[in-house]
Amino acid sequence: MRKLTKASVFWQAAFLLLLVGGGVAAVQNIEANLARSGISVSFGFLGSQAGFDINESAIAVSSTSSYARVLLAGMINTLILSLVCIAGATAIGVIMGVLRASNHYLGVRVAGLYIEVMRNLPKLLILLALFLFAINTLPSVRQSWGLFDTVFVSNRAIYLPAILPGSGMRLLTAAFVVWLVSIAVLGRFSRRVQDRSGVRYPVIWPVTAFILAVVLVSGLFGWVDFPVSYPELKGFDFRGGHRISIQFLVLALALSLYHGGQVAELVRGAIQAVPAGQFEAARASGLGFLQTMRLVVLPQAVRIIVPPMGNQYLNITKNTSIALAVGYSDLVSVMTTSINQTFRPIELMSLTMCVYLAICLAVSLAVNLYNARVSGGGIAR
Amino acid sequence: MSVLSEEVPFAGDAIVRPPRDGFVRQVRSRLFATKGDTALTLVLAAVIVAFGTFALDWLVIGAAAPWGSAQDCAAARGACWPFVVEKHRLILFGTYPYEEQWRPFLASVLLVGGVGASMLPSFHNRRLLWLWGAASIGFYVLMAGGYLGLESVQPERWNGLPILLMLAIFGLVFAYPLGIGLALARHQSQLPAIRAFAVLYIEIVRGVPMIMVLFLGLFVLPLMMPEGVSLSPLLTTMIALVFFHSAYFAEAVRGGLQAVPDGQFEAANSQGLTYVQKVRLIVLPQALSKSMPEVMNTVLGAYKDTSLVVIIGIHDIMATAKMAFSDPGWQHYGLEAYLLVGVWYLITCWCLSSYSRWLERRTS
Repeated sequence: MRKLTKASVFWQAAFLLLLVGGGVAAVQNIEANLARSGISVSFGFLGSQAGFDINESAIAVSSTSSYARVLLAGMINTLILSLVCIAGATAIGVIMGVLRASNHYLGVRVAGLYIEVMRNLPKLLILLALFLFAINTLPSVRQSWGLFDTVFVSNRAIYLPAILPGSGMRLLTAAFVVWLVSIAVLGRFSRRVQDRSGVRYPVIWPVTAFILAVVLVSGLFGWVDFPVSYPELKGFDFRGGHRISIQFLVLALALSLYHGGQVAELVRGAIQAVPAGQFEAARASGLGFLQTMRLVVLPQAVRIIVPPMGNQYLNITKNTSIALAVGYSDLVSVMTTSINQTFRPIELMSLTMCVYLAICLAVSLAVNLYNARVSGGGIAR
Repeated sequence: MSVLSEEVPFAGDAIVRPPRDGFVRQVRSRLFATKGDTALTLVLAAVIVAFGTFALDWLVIGAAAPWGSAQDCAAARGACWPFVVEKHRLILFGTYPYEEQWRPFLASVLLVGGVGASMLPSFHNRRLLWLWGAASIGFYVLMAGGYLGLESVQPERWNGLPILLMLAIFGLVFAYPLGIGLALARHQSQLPAIRAFAVLYIEIVRGVPMIMVLFLGLFVLPLMMPEGVSLSPLLTTMIALVFFHSAYFAEAVRGGLQAVPDGQFEAANSQGLTYVQKVRLIVLPQALSKSMPEVMNTVLGAYKDTSLVVIIGIHDIMATAKMAFSDPGWQHYGLEAYLLVGVWYLITCWCLSSYSRWLERRTS
């Protein structure tokens, strides 16, 4: 029960007065300071030409693009980098966490050393050291290491063959969509059958095999064409193919390694939080090791791990902003370049903060929804 | 002679141990018990051997000895230790006047000593305030000079280790009380407006990257100042760090506050204690000790993340490392410089986390 006492009204009024007063003073100072440089706060500049190019982006960007488009490209780069790092950190973290929780003599120690080193080093140091190592060790573009003349590795980028749009590309996209949908639909159907009759029908393997077969057969018989562009060394750089910059690769590796250590600790904790009796009971009822893990231990571990893991994924997304240190064009680095050109820190920073807050909100919403789903029902309380 | 007086051997008296396994059998049961174990052992052993030989060759066998010269480094295939010998003062103290570098050294020792003293339980009271008051004055006098016959040194020339320590330690020292205040503001229902502000503040700061907050300090904070007031980059960075870390401390402390049983609040209320008395005497002592592990985690993360100030152009130890290998004569030895920085972080972070583990054992 809340009582509105005189004291509470007084303190809140005083606080609000202070806050509003400070805010008004700050805004007035900002306006006065900006007016001295002859600018006022407005978002109109977003439509004007940015005049700088960014080295790699998923959408077409040139030096004639507008600020809005360049910022959008930066945001997409941040999202791509985050997804790659999330996948990498999860893979490394699960392997290391399972090793740490295992009873393998060497495995426990190797994983323990890895986790400890990653816990005690700053991410920026890992990033810069790896970047320096990559730049020093890998050959220059002209002396790239080639693999069958299709893949080239240099200290500027990795060049891969790219599948150009065509009927083959359309088939692959369609196959992927069909794969996702049929696994979701058939999986639900199979679970309903299992609930009713106890018979388990496998879903993932048959569907994957069928779709792979369709794609392979149509490729081999030439029913669809796969126009491929191979990278070729022309002058000082490669033309054609797909280019992944060394900055992106090093960032993905460094953040995956760094956050892999933290994910490993979460995984270890979650596995050890599942009572050992569950494991033993499952083995005693005749399930194999993998079945025990998949059907008994992991579903329980996942419930424990989802909230901290969501938090961890958010941290990864925010930490991709260290991209600035090696010159990869993520959202923050595009923002700083724009600020340096336009001197509009207020508009650009509020935009960028809104993007990060939106991502943050979306992830915590997803985690909350998932939590509501896994914690509701199931166990009778 | 009764039968009872006779000594009856009791199974519990003598501990019966199985015979100890021999070395070979131990190795077999630990590393090669199943096929899966064997495969894992072989893979890990290969990784360890490959990594170990590379590290040994780079660090020792193929490296140029510390007493060598730049020419030895060019010939060596491994690390260049003469570079570290030559440049260690630059990496530690940056461009601080060379003759005066005993001052940043003493200042760093002062801060590290202060942290060491703060870790002692006998300092966990009002003495901490005196300690840090004295340490900050001592640090400023040593670094800036101008007093006691010390030559005055501009803040632009402060860099390297003392800057890292200053930003990390003073940032945390100021952020902690602010974080406690925010957590208290969030964990009450009497003042909804203040509570709403605390929630908004904590969630916004935790939702954006640290670099964004540092840039806010760099670009926006100076704009907020009235005409004629100019802030040095070091000061704005410090303010940004304090605001940033306080939100994380607030979340850590809130966990502790939530763990204090409601009965404690109610008992304090029924004793007729005022809010300040209740918080100071009943709630905070329990909440702070309960939140200690999480707070120490925050401290460790914040200390490591202080290195991000390099990105906005503050010259901490990572930036001076870069300075060291930007010298044309020593350009190829960046990894050695970063290794030195890495060793510093490994040692200090390990000390912090060992302390936090010790603290946890002690309180539980």
